Amino acid sequence: MNEEKKSSFASTLPYERDDKKVSAMNERKKSSFTSFLFVLPYLTMFILFLAIPLFYGIFISLHDWNLISPNRPFVGLANYMEIFNSNSTAHELFFSGLWNTFQFVLYSVPLLVVIGLGLAMLVNSLPEKIRFLFRTAYFIPYSISVSVVAILWLWMLDTNSGLVNQTLIKLGLDSIPWLTKIPFAWVSIVIATLWWTIGFNMIIFINALNEVPEEMYEAADIDGASSWERFLHITLPTIRPVMLFVLITSTIASFNIYGQPYLMTRGGPGDSTEVLLMGIVEQAFELRQLGSASAMAVLMSLIIVGISLIQLKVTNRPEKEAKE
Amino acid sequence: MKRKKQLKTFLLMVIALIIAAFFLIPLFWMVSTSFKSDFEAIGGGTNWLPKEFTTDNYIYTLTNASMSAPVIKWMFNSLFVGLVGTTIIVSIDAMAAYGLARLDVPFKKVLLPIFVSTLMIPWVITFLPLYMQFNNLGLLNTYAPLILPYSANAFGVFLLYQFFKSFPKELEEAARIDGANKWQIFTKVVLPSARPLMATLAIFSFMTIYNDFLWPLVATSSPEMRTITTGIAIMQQGSFVSSYGRLMALTTIATIPIIIIFLIGQKQFIKGVTQTGIK
Repeated sequence: MNEEKKSSFASTLPYERDDKKVSAMNERKKSSFTSFLFVLPYLTMFILFLAIPLFYGIFISLHDWNLISPNRPFVGLANYMEIFNSNSTAHELFFSGLWNTFQFVLYSVPLLVVIGLGLAMLVNSLPEKIRFLFRTAYFIPYSISVSVVAILWLWMLDTNSGLVNQTLIKLGLDSIPWLTKIPFAWVSIVIATLWWTIGFNMIIFINALNEVPEEMYEAADIDGASSWERFLHITLPTIRPVMLFVLITSTIASFNIYGQPYLMTRGGPGDSTEVLLMGIVEQAFELRQLGSASAMAVLMSLIIVGISLIQLKVTNRPEKEAKE
Repeated sequence: MKRKKQLKTFLLMVIALIIAAFFLIPLFWMVSTSFKSDFEAIGGGTNWLPKEFTTDNYIYTLTNASMSAPVIKWMFNSLFVGLVGTTIIVSIDAMAAYGLARLDVPFKKVLLPIFVSTLMIPWVITFLPLYMQFNNLGLLNTYAPLILPYSANAFGVFLLYQFFKSFPKELEEAARIDGANKWQIFTKVVLPSARPLMATLAIFSFMTIYNDFLWPLVATSSPEMRTITTGIAIMQQGSFVSSYGRLMALTTIATIPIIIIFLIGQKQFIKGVTQTGIK
């Protein structure tokens, strides 16, 4: 409407037309410049601390990059080849770390998802007045840092004086070498992780459960469905997208595990709980092979993205089939 | 029927209480141990309260004679980088989100998808190059690496973008007719209504920065530049190893501020968590 008015106005005054056009263009340019200033601060941070590191990381992985030597020759894919060459330290660090990380993901993720959902259902089935209290109690550890969590559980599970073993002895049972024997070292790390992070998943599930329409349950009640049937045929299908979200975020978080084994077991016994991130840090800062460590980090990122995509695909398939 | 329901509720409460014990006992044990002498702590036993109540662990850690653990400086560092980092994140994210949602920013159709897609990028790929970048600039062991990298995360931009997108246009229009410029409209009209969401982002950001572990561990090496989270890890592996009375005093000191902030901002925080779930 406005545009039309302007142009008809301009056509009656041919001499002013060009001026008007130019000034409107200038106006627009000026406006989009001031608008750009709104995005500029974030964009600067984004480029400096995300975009550049991303390419710089790949760049470093293509060089023989020693942390203290200024001579850093380009070596192409040699760092990647070295990781797959079974005689190298990089190979040992990467694959043993990857295997240990896989184990942790395998032990922790199903528990994080299932118990997270279980806690959410438990809290939701309590009388409304006290829900808040239990939700807070289960969620508090999430606010604590990983170093506090790890040191606290290190103390709880201390073989000689820890509360857990002291309680076992009081009950007339044998004490357990929680941190120095397999499989107990993994059990300890998984317990500390569950204690720390499961509240997060619970909160997401509580929200998802509250969004299931009440009418669907009422309809099921009329059909005489048992509570197990209600859960299986109404709750689960409805919260499915959220479940997928929790599954993927838990998997990524578990893949990035570092603090718990670093502080609780120091990768032991032997190197059985030395996870991939510990291997990368060791390669970068102890052996000073930043090029090789960066190649390991790039591969680890590809694995994480790959697993997320597979989970997305596999878990989405039945839904699509049902639609078709 | 009513009886049966009451019994069920009672049983659920018992289960819920047992689980609550699992979450709360370690915290109680942490505080309890921090008031025990090392001798009593290492001696074991399951006494919930110290036999001989002592504040020695706190006095020792806060006035550490060996100076290897400047705990007060660590606390200051953590609170400082947390506050400054959070302020930066909330400000620049709000501006960028508003620009992308409402203003004629050039290339905005490309920028937003680029920002959002970086949420998929695993953090591990940027952490070694970031170390090199700060190393090249000679900025390791300063506050810069402890503050700046967190502000590149697109989470806040994405969170606020959705809010600004649905903000009623009429209010902006009215302000524009009154002669307000973009900045005035942004700060006086739009931002006040985004306050709850900005509080959510602030709590998220503060907790992320305060609790981060591996990055501050590699970005700092001098004792006085440590954050409290990395400092206590250094002590656990150093001179406080197995000195659980002192370690628990340290972890208690480190945990108090963040638990207080968490309890105060719990509502906002939970809102933020559920927002991430909707994505």
